[in-house]
Amino acid sequence: MSSFFAVAVKNQELILSSLSRHLLICALSLALGIIAAVPAGIFLTYRKKTAKAVLAVLGVINTIPSIVLLGVAMMIFGLGVYPAIAVLFLYSLLPIVRGTYTGILDIDPKYLKAARGMGMNRLQILRVVQLPLAMPAIVTGIRLSAIYVISWATLAAFIGGGGLGDVIWMGLQSYNFRLVIWGALPATLLAFLVSWLLNRVIRLTQKHISREVAQ
Amino acid sequence: MNWPSVFSAVLTHLQITFFGVLLGCVIGLPMAVLLIQKPKLSHSVFAVIDLVQTVPTLAMLIFVMLLLGLNNRTVVVSIALFSLFPIIRNAYVGLNSVDRGTLRAAKGIGMTQLQVFTKVRIPIAAPMILAGIRLAVVSALSIATTGVFIGAGGLGMLVWRGIQTRNTAMMLSGAVPISMLALMLEYFIERIEKKLTYYK
Amino acid sequence: MVRFENVHMSYGEHAVLKGIDLHIEPGQLAVLIGPSGCGKTTTLQLINRLITPTEGKIFVNGRDISTVDPVELRRGIGYVIQEIGLFPHMTVKQNIEIVPKLLGWDEQKRSARSKELLKLVGMEERYLDVYPAKLSGGQQQRIGLLRALAVEPPIVLMDEPFGALDPITRESLQDEIMTLNKKLHKTVIFVTHDMDEALKIADVIILMKDGNIVQAATPKELLSHPANEFVESFIGKQRQAVGKLDTVREVMSARVVCAPDDTSVVEAVDLMRRQRVPSVFVLNKEGGFDGQISIKDIQSFSCTGDEMISRLANKQIPTVHPEGSASEAFKIMMQENIDELPVVDGDRVVGIVTRRSMVTSLAKVVWQGEAHE
Repeated sequence: MSSFFAVAVKNQELILSSLSRHLLICALSLALGIIAAVPAGIFLTYRKKTAKAVLAVLGVINTIPSIVLLGVAMMIFGLGVYPAIAVLFLYSLLPIVRGTYTGILDIDPKYLKAARGMGMNRLQILRVVQLPLAMPAIVTGIRLSAIYVISWATLAAFIGGGGLGDVIWMGLQSYNFRLVIWGALPATLLAFLVSWLLNRVIRLTQKHISREVAQ
Repeated sequence: MNWPSVFSAVLTHLQITFFGVLLGCVIGLPMAVLLIQKPKLSHSVFAVIDLVQTVPTLAMLIFVMLLLGLNNRTVVVSIALFSLFPIIRNAYVGLNSVDRGTLRAAKGIGMTQLQVFTKVRIPIAAPMILAGIRLAVVSALSIATTGVFIGAGGLGMLVWRGIQTRNTAMMLSGAVPISMLALMLEYFIERIEKKLTYYK
Repeated sequence: MVRFENVHMSYGEHAVLKGIDLHIEPGQLAVLIGPSGCGKTTTLQLINRLITPTEGKIFVNGRDISTVDPVELRRGIGYVIQEIGLFPHMTVKQNIEIVPKLLGWDEQKRSARSKELLKLVGMEERYLDVYPAKLSGGQQQRIGLLRALAVEPPIVLMDEPFGALDPITRESLQDEIMTLNKKLHKTVIFVTHDMDEALKIADVIILMKDGNIVQAATPKELLSHPANEFVESFIGKQRQAVGKLDTVREVMSARVVCAPDDTSVVEAVDLMRRQRVPSVFVLNKEGGFDGQISIKDIQSFSCTGDEMISRLANKQIPTVHPEGSASEAFKIMMQENIDELPVVDGDRVVGIVTRRSMVTSLAKVVWQGEAHE
């Protein structure tokens, strides 16, 4: 056991820098994903035919194993962190677009009728009614994306993107399984933490809604 | 291009996927049936399999590897673990989604509990159960690809060697079959799901 | 046939049934009725052991059912429920034949049985291979009924079976269940909350309140000698609508048989025979009222069978509005010497006034009048 921690101490610089790199890659890809996918999801609710096509294409992308997409990205953009971020960004799109799109379309039409009846315009309906009511579905999508991104980010190291995958890879190559764990464990804990946090956020948005409905 | 090696990689890949999802079904489907009987258990079971689902793929492979070693078995077990969530959840929801009136009628006309399951609940839930298996298969293909990092065979090997040696052709000889397999299996299972809802 | 001896049922502290004694004779159509929470559905579900009493004994066919295997018991008792509960993944044929199949009947016998049953409710054989999703609510409940009758159980339990159906379909299914009860000599135990339904179909009405039987009597007795004020008010509350006979709506029957104007004469005759009516209303392409054609008209015309009924229809027949005066309608029928008067709202047929519907409505008021004396 002591040697387990000794490995960590010995490689602390590598582990810490890999962890911060991992966080950076994940945060950046997820942020880009949210910025692109939420508005796209909203837009698609006005264009249902386009929506089908877009969701199908994103579905195909998410069907392809990530290491394959990483390989393709590497071929096109070369080694480095940017191709990795680009691929993770692509993966994050589907859950968020789908969550936003179905979240908005699943809203009981009576609320929209009421909102229109009060004389709200489209933008007001979106802001006051649709987005708050769809929020649990949107955050559920974001949570799913976050889990994907954190998971696949461990593979980014293999195309030179860095992150906790570096620790794992070095450990594997030197048959130093203790070091491998120091890559795998932080990644797992990060995934648990983010998943737990976003679950809390989902519950908060739901409470918010039930209170609104109760009034 | 080395066609025989691509072909044997496809076979290995399919084998790993098949046995992984099969193991997932063997554990998951009876578990779902159990949860229907004991709904109080469902909350904690779902919390656990959700947590399992959250573990990054590579990390899971590594944890299982520490127990089972660097080989295909590790990948099979990892796939089974990741399959639990979609399989159990879909089967549970599907079996529970059978209309209460239908169940009351089934009991009322004198079906035994076993008959209610085999003649009513399972046929009605079949498309949803299969949808769960489909999700498991698609993610299993991806996990099997990642398996290359802990020494497993399959198409991931070709992709990885291609990346390492900057050999585009080799990388594609793995990437294209994987993507085709994923898309084709997803399409075919979906077709069967549609066939199972013939009565709607 | 079915006997309850001091049956109690409670969930924890909450007593649902407080000592039920009940005897239903073979061949009777018994209706359990009462306000919600009175225990009528509980009573029904005790009979096929979907629930078990806390205390007391229940006998079916002389056997104490606590000694009978529930599965075996249920296979000998038909069960029809409000939610219908047809199996969505099975065809009409498979649904009807499920219990025979569980009992191991061979294909030939099963198939003959399902065809015979379908005929019983006037549905064609082509429905055999249809899935329930394609049937109307009324058709689904007919199949639900046939499924319950498949192995000729001597007893049929019906739990608000027509509660979710529209009034016209409900009326015709009530007629069918009465006919079946008489024709097949089934003991039918029927739960409802609708007093009109109970008075129409019951041989004996069992009125319940708070887990007790308040009165068990024939409809006539119940109306003429209500046991107490509760019975009186329960009948009264439910029947205020028919208490006075001012408008046509109160004396009409909502059960009308219509046919589109391109129906052939043969089909129209067939329809009348199946529905046991002497005439049908003709509807134009938009579904609006466009005359009436009676069996007498058809007999008196010389026409070929495949001629369309639109040419033969009597478009001059007088009609009345549902909110029109009932006595006016009566006068028209007397003056014109007609047996049937269509009730039309806009161009929609909403009902029919017949001599029978008038007499029935009158009789109900007269009976209730006696009850108050």
